[in-house]
Amino acid sequence: MDFSIREANLDDCKDIARMIMELAEYVKLAEHVKVTQKDLEQDGFSNNPFFHGIIAEVPEQHKTKEGHTKIGYALYFYAYSSWSGRAIYMEDLYVMPEFRGKGVGKALISKVAQLGLAAGCHQLNFTVLDWNKPSMDFYLSQGCFNITATMGYHCMRCEGEALKHLAQL
Amino acid sequence: MSEYEELAKYEEMEHQVTLTEKELLEDGFGDTPFYHCIITEIQGQNSSEDPKVVGFAMYYFTYDPWVGKQLYLEEFYVMDEYRGLGIGSGILRHLSNLAMKTRCTGMMFVVAENNEPSVQFYKRRGAEDLSQEEGWRLFRFDKDSLVKMAAPSEE
Repeated sequence: MDFSIREANLDDCKDIARMIMELAEYVKLAEHVKVTQKDLEQDGFSNNPFFHGIIAEVPEQHKTKEGHTKIGYALYFYAYSSWSGRAIYMEDLYVMPEFRGKGVGKALISKVAQLGLAAGCHQLNFTVLDWNKPSMDFYLSQGCFNITATMGYHCMRCEGEALKHLAQL
Repeated sequence: MSEYEELAKYEEMEHQVTLTEKELLEDGFGDTPFYHCIITEIQGQNSSEDPKVVGFAMYYFTYDPWVGKQLYLEEFYVMDEYRGLGIGSGILRHLSNLAMKTRCTGMMFVVAENNEPSVQFYKRRGAEDLSQEEGWRLFRFDKDSLVKMAAPSEE
């Protein structure tokens, strides 16, 4: 199947927002999504972007029945490891169900790896839900390892009232 | 660099620190900083003494496409002999303030599950363990795997 991988631009935000919601639904956490298309435009495509995007697109003849040609995406940003230095963090990786198994996911993650290496990064980090076996299998087949399992690292967050309390506001 | 070595020793992973002082300088204070740092200094007994760095935190901004900007706390350390004095709380207060001022909806970080003192320190302050509560597992590709993945497909 013919598809192309390219860097996302402002006009892609509508489809990115749509696919973010599809991914959230897939991991059964759709009620957590608060970010809108406008937030994405502001946060990803202004002078100081907080993330970058990559889009997978198919030609017109392969569009979905709703008319979508943008059928996959990855969101990433640059991070830092105090032990190894520059790192790239892949926040989201998603391919619409009917386009899976055709190398699109591999091509998206390959692009993230290329961009990371070009920027001098030494590692690519991301999270996966422990019950998401298809994704875990895919990533493990590409040669990554599970830091939570091997080093016992847990992802933590302070938000809402807890954050306000910490700031003593 | 010695503070990093101390922290690495604390986590018993000193052999894993490969970052050099030169890289730290370039990556934090060059044209495109990859991280920011805050330090806690105390003044010596004599006013002629240089202040001593006794704690630091390294952070940067990340993005959660569901809830927006986050402040990511990469490293947070207070020297052994200066703990229990409120320095750690002071650093966290400063960072939380900064997170709110920059419109971050949360502050994120990673803790090793066997690091009981740190886990309790954070949970007391309302941190949620997303790995435990939602099942998130942190994965990593190292440099060699990155190079393999970045190579053009043979198909």
